[in-house]
Amino acid sequence: MITRDDILKIAKLSKLSIEDEEIEALTKDMAEIIQFADTINTAVEDENMEFDNISNIINAFHEDEVIESFDSDLILKNRDGGEDGYFLVKRRSVN
Amino acid sequence: MSYELVAGLETHIELSTKTKIFCNCTTEFGGEPNTHCCPICIGLPGTLPKLNKNVVKYAVKAGLATNCSIRNISKMDRKNYVYPDLPKAYQISQFDKPLCENGYISLSTGKNINITRIHIEEDAGKLVHQRGDTYIDYNRGGVPLVEIVTEPDFRSIDEVVEYIEKLRLIMKYIGVSDVKMQEGSLRCDVNISVRKYGDNDLGIRTEIKNMNSLSFIAKAMEYEFNRQIDIIENGGIIEQETRRYNSDLNITESMRKKEDADDYRYFRDPDLVTISIMDEQIQQIKNELPELPSVKLKRFVEDYNLPIQDAELLVKYKKVAEYFEEACIKIENHKVVSNFILSQIFRTLSTETEKEDFNILIPPSYLNELVKLTETKKINSSLARITLEKMLETGKPLSEFITEKHLQGIDENTLKSICEKAVLANEKAVNEYLNGKEKAFGSIIGYIMKETKGNADAALATEIIKTIIS
Repeated sequence: MITRDDILKIAKLSKLSIEDEEIEALTKDMAEIIQFADTINTAVEDENMEFDNISNIINAFHEDEVIESFDSDLILKNRDGGEDGYFLVKRRSVN
Repeated sequence: MSYELVAGLETHIELSTKTKIFCNCTTEFGGEPNTHCCPICIGLPGTLPKLNKNVVKYAVKAGLATNCSIRNISKMDRKNYVYPDLPKAYQISQFDKPLCENGYISLSTGKNINITRIHIEEDAGKLVHQRGDTYIDYNRGGVPLVEIVTEPDFRSIDEVVEYIEKLRLIMKYIGVSDVKMQEGSLRCDVNISVRKYGDNDLGIRTEIKNMNSLSFIAKAMEYEFNRQIDIIENGGIIEQETRRYNSDLNITESMRKKEDADDYRYFRDPDLVTISIMDEQIQQIKNELPELPSVKLKRFVEDYNLPIQDAELLVKYKKVAEYFEEACIKIENHKVVSNFILSQIFRTLSTETEKEDFNILIPPSYLNELVKLTETKKINSSLARITLEKMLETGKPLSEFITEKHLQGIDENTLKSICEKAVLANEKAVNEYLNGKEKAFGSIIGYIMKETKGNADAALATEIIKTIIS
């Protein structure tokens, strides 16, 4: 059962602001999504079957050899503020 | 009513691979900010992480060395949280299929501390707070970590300290981390609660985050133990929360309460493929493991006949233990070798780091030679001490300081006449000794050693003097 509180919690975790009038519709939509997932679950016969490795690729590793890092000018190119080679954490704006 | 402490530990250890966990940038400590970075480290969209082969190997080593079972099939998961030290807004970690599970470390009392799991994950960047602003350096971002989680098995601060020391030594021995606490390559979160003795249920716990010093951990736990008892004794209820240790005030303070508890929404990282480790590979890694400190300690006590305290001091520093063994070749009394190392050589190494590095000028073969000469009584212990001191200062071998003359020693007749001279020159000491002051004898022997430049046989000299003055 999806509740109004669940929607508010998910919105908070997702950093989304939602209007009061949207909550009811979102609750209904979310319940339908969960129900759809439940339907799929009932179709799974073997509980131990792995569905999260459908590519069947295993062990794609990189060798432990250093490759020169990027020039810090490139790394910092899109930064907004910051000095001495550091990124700056934007202060939260107060409304 | 007295209370019992109950604690569990989460220890983060930086692995000493050359490269980061998901890219080939260096893991070197320090460096100018954001110079050990690539688009993967700073979480740019469209980049693809690829797991470091050695991270898996090192974590399996850590698991085997702490008696864990190793999973044949494992995977990486995303742990979502928003904080500026983590540019992707998720950390790649492991959730329900950690590489290693169900291990333990034995304490000196014989008690086992059970290890629930060991998983691999990426470290976050470093935040620098300056002039009211916060800056970020992502050099540390992506450095590989193992997180080692125990059951709530600790019942005292001493047990926690011993566990961390043992864990640290094991990781150092197997070479998976430099475990430098001061550089943050070993950091602990402590979960702590209290209960009345005899109670079976666990109390409500708090978690003290991110401590990288044994003394801070001990102090924080002591403070928190007493704080929780005070609350209960005053009729209050412990709140489940995350706290931090403030070393300036020696207190723990609240960071966040349970209602803001993290909801990490773990899910499989679709960019990283399944990790599969065959039993043969696990066995091969097991075969490559060096002798572990607990096994070495037992062997030093049994095979070299050392007191446990001495053996512990030698085993505590891997290089010292290796040096000791080499210096012991074909020596009968190994305690003599251990004594030279633990007293005279250790005196020249004042810090723990110096002892760990053990960069002394003389190779173990020089010490071996010296001890052999004392065993065959070719030189006495005081000459040996003086010689070792000179060797340690210069790095030169024994032959530079010990001449044929030393090795021939002093014949009995010469020694006799020196003893006679000593008795005449130390009349006061002789009288004091004859009046029962045993200690006075030392200054007569001291005189003889000075006269013979430490070359006399002290036992024989004692015998001769006693005959003269009796």
